[in-house]
Amino acid sequence: MIPSIEFRGVSKFFGNIIALKDISFKVFKGEITALLGDNGAGKSTLIKLLSGVHMPSKGEILLSGEPVNFKSPRQAVSAGIGTVYQDLALQPLMSVTRNFFLGREITKGLFLNMPLMNTITKKEMAKLGIDVADPTQPIGTMSGGQRQTLAIARAIYFGANVLILDEPTSALGQKQQLEVLRTIKKVKELGDIAIIFITHNDMHAKLLGDRFAFLNRGKVLAEGSRDEIDMNNLRPLMAGGAELEKLETEFSRR
Amino acid sequence: MASDERIRDIGLIRRSISRPELGSVFGLIIIVITFMTLTSISGTFGAMWLNPIGIQAWVELAAFVGILAIGASLLMIAGEFDLSMGANIALAGHSFAIFLLFGVPIELAIILTFIELAFLGFVIGVIVVRTGLPSFIVTLAFWFASRGFAVFLSQTFFNQSRLSVKANLKPPPGGGEDPTLIDNIFAFDKAFGVPFDAEVYYFIILVFIVAFITNRTPYGNWIYASGGDPVAARAVGVPVARVKISLFMISTSLACLLGILTVMTSGASDPKAGDFRELHAIAAAVIGGCALTGGYGSVVGAVLGALIFAIASRGINFVPFIDNNLFRVMLGMLILGSALLNQFLRDRIVKG
Repeated sequence: MIPSIEFRGVSKFFGNIIALKDISFKVFKGEITALLGDNGAGKSTLIKLLSGVHMPSKGEILLSGEPVNFKSPRQAVSAGIGTVYQDLALQPLMSVTRNFFLGREITKGLFLNMPLMNTITKKEMAKLGIDVADPTQPIGTMSGGQRQTLAIARAIYFGANVLILDEPTSALGQKQQLEVLRTIKKVKELGDIAIIFITHNDMHAKLLGDRFAFLNRGKVLAEGSRDEIDMNNLRPLMAGGAELEKLETEFSRR
Repeated sequence: MASDERIRDIGLIRRSISRPELGSVFGLIIIVITFMTLTSISGTFGAMWLNPIGIQAWVELAAFVGILAIGASLLMIAGEFDLSMGANIALAGHSFAIFLLFGVPIELAIILTFIELAFLGFVIGVIVVRTGLPSFIVTLAFWFASRGFAVFLSQTFFNQSRLSVKANLKPPPGGGEDPTLIDNIFAFDKAFGVPFDAEVYYFIILVFIVAFITNRTPYGNWIYASGGDPVAARAVGVPVARVKISLFMISTSLACLLGILTVMTSGASDPKAGDFRELHAIAAAVIGGCALTGGYGSVVGAVLGALIFAIASRGINFVPFIDNNLFRVMLGMLILGSALLNQFLRDRIVKG
């Protein structure tokens, strides 16, 4: 199978700073690729390369086997890469429907086709397991998990084949985290979307991931499918393996 | 959708609580009852509420402030501010008068003045969007500059700051007593037998159009999003910069409309025209539920705010036993009270 996204020896430099060094990994459709790494590992640089904010300094990114070079976020979006950022890009005082279609409204002549947009919003949210009782309500009334789902449903509806989720659970309470995990699983079940799930929660990654990639200090420490990775070794890999061992010996000496 | 068991029937009252103009509806009811009571006590109830001239007094003021408040509220919803509106009325009036005095035909003078003011709005908008300076500061600069430039022009060309254009405006058909009642399609006036100044009709038409645009078009959506969270709006493809520039152009064009109408109905352009009106318009927008932080508010609310302002403002003349200066105190408290009430209502929406 051709990977939806493949990084081949990608590096990104900012002046003398090496943000990413020789990164290679693959993402397949219908699968969840958990991208793990601590703060400063280069996760956000990687997202920005994918979503067209930055261009790689070296190496290539392949989209369904074809090399691509996104010059702007708009290009990445029209190529089918949907990014759901941590802040979600939502308007709290506007209604669910208006948020869903903001910037891409459906009109009838000059005017908004509200009934149609309400129906689509309800339907698309239902696909991800959220029953929106009244899509004309302000989004401020929704829970954090539901908002996350809205942002995901919106990206999918507007044509994302590759969905990048930037730490979707990090700002939420326990119950809402589970709600979001359930949503991500629903997206996977749709079958035709490749999901990049960026997180630093190894429990969540273990629960959902089909493939794993571990970033540390700008490099991929390990990459592979569930069978290829030692699942019990997730946590040490995330913290950078050897460094954690060093710390353990340091602590045990006291 | 109606069969969804998760929809609670919250009824009209609960539902309308989430409308931004709710506070101003209460405000209007209170202010009308207050002034009806006060005028009854001082025996001027008929003069203010039944006599055509009494009604004219507050309706025409509401229309004047209301037209500006439309622009003020749109800008506030988009998170911006225009302090130069009042000064732009004088600039428009003077420009229009100067065109007329130079012999430009009246229709062309109207068009040229609108182009000039729309261009000014474009310049203000571009400065705000490009430099990222707060619009409060940018338009404060034009609050000085617009009026100053208007008077400078009239002093330079005609050596006077007040420009009379009575001779350049046609008298009404049949030669009415007042030569300033213009027979002109633009400033259709009492000459046509309508009971109010043209402002009132423009106002009513504009309110309907703008209310429709804000609620029922993509552009309206974008105005709210530009003020609510500009970064998020840009991320989903809303042309935030263009929306804001267009709103500054609308704001200056509304000032232009008032400037030209004032000259037409008074027969002269006064350098003090529109003085402090920007603050009255902003007060109307705040009373009407607009949040200074942007993203929330309604044009209909601003219209109700303008009515509240006008009734309180003119009503005080019908209540001789209350000192005029106390009116300002009252108005100040009204603005403060409305802002507090609106903030409370807004919080309720977010909390559900």
